[in-house]
Amino acid sequence: MLLPVLIILIGILGVGVMTTFTQSIGYFSAIGSNDFTLDNYMRLLTDKGLIESLVFSMRTSFISAFISTLGGVILAVAVYKLGNEGDLLSKSFRIPIIVPHLLSVLLIYNIFSQTGILARILFSLGVIDSFESFPQILYLKNGFGIILAYVWKELPFIAFITYNVLSKLSTKLSDAARNLGANSFQAMRYVVIPLLIPSILSSFILVFAFSFGAYEIPMLLGATYPKALPVKAYIEYINPILSNRPYAMAINFFIASMGLFLAYIYFKCFERVTRYEKQ
Amino acid sequence: MKKKLLAILLILSMLMLSACSSQSGSTDANGEAEEANTTSEQTTVTFYGWGGSEVTNAWIDGYLTDAVAKKYNIKLERVGMNIDEILNLLLNEKQAGTDKGSIDIIWINGENFASAKENGLLFGPFASELENFSKYLDPNSPDVMFDFGVATEGYEVPFGKAQFVMVYDSSLLSQVPVDHKALLEMAKNNPGKFTYPAPPDFTGSAFVRNIIYDIVGYEQFLTMDADYDTVKSAIMPAMDYLKELKPYLWNQGKTYPASLSILDNMYADGEVFMTMDYNPNSASSRISTGEFPEATKTFIFDKGSIGNTHFVAIPFNSPNVEGAKAVINEIISVEAQAKKYDPSGWGDLPVLDNSKLSDDEKKVFDSIPLGKATLPQDELMSKRMPELPAKLVPIIEQIWMETIAAESN
Repeated sequence: MLLPVLIILIGILGVGVMTTFTQSIGYFSAIGSNDFTLDNYMRLLTDKGLIESLVFSMRTSFISAFISTLGGVILAVAVYKLGNEGDLLSKSFRIPIIVPHLLSVLLIYNIFSQTGILARILFSLGVIDSFESFPQILYLKNGFGIILAYVWKELPFIAFITYNVLSKLSTKLSDAARNLGANSFQAMRYVVIPLLIPSILSSFILVFAFSFGAYEIPMLLGATYPKALPVKAYIEYINPILSNRPYAMAINFFIASMGLFLAYIYFKCFERVTRYEKQ
Repeated sequence: MKKKLLAILLILSMLMLSACSSQSGSTDANGEAEEANTTSEQTTVTFYGWGGSEVTNAWIDGYLTDAVAKKYNIKLERVGMNIDEILNLLLNEKQAGTDKGSIDIIWINGENFASAKENGLLFGPFASELENFSKYLDPNSPDVMFDFGVATEGYEVPFGKAQFVMVYDSSLLSQVPVDHKALLEMAKNNPGKFTYPAPPDFTGSAFVRNIIYDIVGYEQFLTMDADYDTVKSAIMPAMDYLKELKPYLWNQGKTYPASLSILDNMYADGEVFMTMDYNPNSASSRISTGEFPEATKTFIFDKGSIGNTHFVAIPFNSPNVEGAKAVINEIISVEAQAKKYDPSGWGDLPVLDNSKLSDDEKKVFDSIPLGKATLPQDELMSKRMPELPAKLVPIIEQIWMETIAAESN
């Protein structure tokens, strides 16, 4: 039944990935190059800007994913515990999920920039005397603005997933633990959380992989240098000297391979999630 | 069995698709002898170009669309797309051997034109076939013959002219810097109030080139090799200057606005007191829309500022070449150029040769009112410096990234 969709999806995706790969190893007919070469991949290792971009992307994606996962799980457990009283909270925390990433950039920018809403409020309250006194927290080399935007979007997302898994978990195991004398916290800590680990891990990987390859948030909220890896890839891609294109393709292929690798780990984790669901 | 079938089907489809894409499309548009489009049949002409300027879009969608509809029964469809995406599209179509594409006219110039011409993405030469080209333009003028140092050879027709200007708030800054030294002084006295968009943003790149011109002059670049080390040693004094300027910039020069629109926003918000633009009239139009403060004015350095011409061209696989030629002919008509120059609209400088205009036609241009913040045409023309060759631009941008942006303080 999935065959037609799979053919289209994998066909288009496959052609894209294959073209990227063939261009990156030197077969680029538009500039008349037809020799196999590993120069572009060698350049990946020697281009200082690229190494710094890679490190930057890894750092921001890891930190965003980590904070989102930690916070998301805590939020999910809190909402679950609250039960009916947590209804309003459980509905409101889902809002950032439906906001597009680009819009979240606008939100962060409008609130946290030096001439943003927060600065203006503080100014009218007399806390700061000019907008320059408001700390510049966006466009920093440590990627704070980027992490902020990602956490705002992904923390609710992970909370949402974790909450769903939590509610589907069979209560038999935690009931048994309570029966045997564990208090509520111990049941949570030693029984429920370990059952959630596969789902938590897979959510972490999902957010990490996504933010690693995303372009718009680091492009708009990032510093001029180092650029996140996808932003660097784009800049190499639009270089009007076409012989630079294969290098951009090498970067892209690398990002795609990373994504593929992460997807594989994700599937491995996901397998274990379904093991403990209610029958 | 099913899995094997699936696998075979997938591999087959991928092989077929990739086989198609590796065929070299050797289709050059060898000027099909089509009849001139004077029939009453309506045809469509698509116009692809940067859509980030509201005033430009309004002129194309408004005046130009109406004019070609009335005169040639052409339906003009504008599609906003960045030039790099347009070129990628054409490149992919060329590789795939697509004979009839979807683009009739492209708005292009500079290094992008050089790249497109080199890779055979353009139809032509066609400029001399246009009635208004021989009538109103001087084919031997360097503005028409060369685009960023590359010979146009009739593959593109001038659309409008631009000149780099700096925009400032005269209520916050009483004296404008006349050169780079004065700019440094101004930055030292007003730390954090000035910055420029990071190259490879088009305007930010132009600012860096303007500084280069102001410090080391431009003549040496016109014939320079596109060699990294040659360019680096030539522009080193300018890079040293920008390094010196760095700590007095917005955000201590640790980061720069990613694009001109962001810088314009910061200027409108009062975060910085200067911005810049390639269109000498855009500041005036933005005062009238209320975007920029009333006291906004423009200035250029004493030694001059960079001017360039932007062009329109026809892709190799345009489906309506005659229609495209008709629209381009209309673009270089007196009325179109005058309407385009009106600062209440786009305000883009005209490309027509003044000596080829009749007195009546000259009056049309003289009657266009000067924008509130716009410098007079003769001042702009007298201090106009040519663009340097397209191939040097990405090298300069790369050197800037390495020496200025990557250096941590």
